[in-house]
This record gives sequence, C-alpha cells and structure tokens, in this order.
Amino acid sequence: MTPDGRRRYPVYVPQPSRTWWLKSGPYRRFAAREITSMFAAIVSGLLLAFLFALSSGPGSYQDFLRLLETPGMAAFSAVILAALLYHTATWFRLTTHIVVIRLGQRAVPRSALLAALLGAWIAVSAAVAYFHIWF
Amino acid sequence: MAEGTMTLKVARYRPEHREKPYFDEFDVPYREDMVILDALNYIKDEMDGSVTYRWSCRMGVCGSCGMMVNYRPRLTCSTFLREFYPKPVVVQPLENFPVIRDLVVDLTSFMDKLRQVKPWIIRENEAALESGEYLQTPDQVEKYKQFSMCINCMLCYAACPVVAKDPEFLGPAVIALAHRYNLDSRDQGRGERHRAIAVDWGIWDCTFIGECSVACPKDVDPAVAIQREKVAKTTDTMLSMVLPFGGQE
Repeated sequence: MTPDGRRRYPVYVPQPSRTWWLKSGPYRRFAAREITSMFAAIVSGLLLAFLFALSSGPGSYQDFLRLLETPGMAAFSAVILAALLYHTATWFRLTTHIVVIRLGQRAVPRSALLAALLGAWIAVSAAVAYFHIWF
Repeated sequence: MAEGTMTLKVARYRPEHREKPYFDEFDVPYREDMVILDALNYIKDEMDGSVTYRWSCRMGVCGSCGMMVNYRPRLTCSTFLREFYPKPVVVQPLENFPVIRDLVVDLTSFMDKLRQVKPWIIRENEAALESGEYLQTPDQVEKYKQFSMCINCMLCYAACPVVAKDPEFLGPAVIALAHRYNLDSRDQGRGERHRAIAVDWGIWDCTFIGECSVACPKDVDPAVAIQREKVAKTTDTMLSMVLPFGGQE
C-alpha cells in the first residue's frame, strides 16, 4: 500500500451477484425467514384496521368482518398463518443458538431450550384460542 | 485404492496477461489420500510453475490455504480429492476478497479490521509483575475457548453475503475474536471493544444467515458470537440507563 492507501499492485474485484440468495439452500432458507417477517407487519396492519373499524361503529365493524370472511381473505389468512408459523419456528431455532442458560455449572441443552420455547408458544396460543372461543 | 487422473479447473488471474480471471484445466494423477493442496502442489511442481496460491502447514492449523472448492469455501489441505472423484473440481480464490493473482487474495482490509477490535487483553490497571500471572479456573477458560480456536483462514468471510454486499463489514472472524476477549475473565476492555464493534458496519450489519459458522473448519461458530455480542451490548446499554453508576457503556 502507498501512504495514501492505494495498492501498489493491480487486483481483480469480483462483483457480488444480485441473486446470491438463490445460490444455496441455506441462503434460500435465510431469504424465506426474512421475507416471512413481512407477514408479521401485515398482521399488525390488519389489527389496526380492525380497531379502526371497531371505533367507527357497528356498521364498519360488520363490514370488516364480512371482508375477512370472503374466500380471498380466508386464503390470504391461511398464507399469513403458514408464513408466521415458519418465521416463528425458525426464529426459535436460532434463539437457542444465542441464548445460554446455565443451571449450576452446566448449560441447558439447545434441544431442551427449543422444546421449552415451542411449548410456551403452543400453551399461550391455546390459552388465547380458549378465551376467544368460550368468552 | 482407486487410481487414474482427475481434472482440476484452476482459476487464473494474471493481470499482465489478461484483464479478467480465466480457468486453466489440469489432469493430475489421482490417489485416494490426496487433498486439493497436494494436487495444486503437483501442478506447480510438474505442470505449470506459474500457478500461485498460499499454503504453509498442510495440517489445518495455519489457515493459509483457504480457497473456493466447487464453489464452497474450504481448507484445501483438509479437502480430499476422493470427495469429488471422478468429477472435475473447480478451484477458485476465496470469494469476497480482491484477487491479487490466481488463487491469492488481498487480506489488507481484514488486517485493518482485526486491529480495530483490539484482540488482546486490556487491563484498566496492569498488576505489578511480581504479583504473578492473572489466574483462571478451567470454567473461566471454557467460556471463551471455543472462540479462541480461530485460525484466521477467512473461510467465514468467503461464506458471508453481508461481506459481499458491504466490504466495510467487520466480519465474522474479527467479531468472534472480540467476543473471545470480551468473555475472558482477565480482560477489562469490553466497553472499549463495544465502541469498535457496536456500529452499523459491525454487529448490527449481521443478519444471522449463519453460513460463516457452517464454513468454519474449527467450529468457532462466529455467527453465534456476533448475536451474543448484540445481546451483551444491548444489556450493557440498558443497564447503563438504569444503574446509578452506569453499566459498561
């Protein structure tokens, strides 16, 4: 290198590909994980729309419910559910790599941590479903 | 033992001859116990002395002979030809680095990044020499040992799409090394090091693709090191906001 930071020799600088995320299985799975996070934002938007309809009176609320029951929205909801299940499951799996919980001298195994996270997720979902159906 | 020949397609970059890289094909004698580096050495000794590459220890310790083997970052001294035989093998320089010649890449930017994270033990007040060594228990060593096994082979940089997109990214090995010293019970430089790594081109640039850890030949797991530094930095920042005398901000 010269004092002003330039190389004294020629180099070839390869240009990164725009489609790098299609190159291998792990890259594709990463892209899927990131893209499915957008569906969490879509759910938040739907919830906001729901609250807006609720605050606008019974007519708006009924219209919103009817919209949700249309075949197109039902199909879209199924896509959202699948995307969020994938995103959550993969995120929990990654979490077990990052979080280290020690019991005494030994770290809790990753499989036990993943089981605890998935168990808590299922329990909370079941509780929400129970209150939604019965109350 | 299978015998015969095997074709190596070797990437060449000789700027005095051609502006862009190209491939040369070499048919080398095949033996089951040959690694890619043996084949390259055969080519250099017997077929074309101008083929240029780095190597040193030939036993997976020095980290010099990392290259792209069939488009994956590998140590050529521990990648056997038999994994690919009888199909041809493509050997290229490590991705995400400027190429100087043939299979040799320019590591200048990595060396600059390495210095930035101060990969040595930092003490606020150095104890007097007479007081002896800074002692550690086996448990204290165990906490950072995995992250101290890095051989700076750069395979993780070649595997990382973030490095490809943002050449300024400090990268997996450098942050893993910072993590190693941050975990060391003898070290007191965590705050100082966080100022170097908790930046847009540091830990926050990583999107946890995780391929660096897959490529690592020493199971260092740099992806996890980066995420744990994110957690540590966030914890330090939160503590500094609520504790009367601050955390390690």
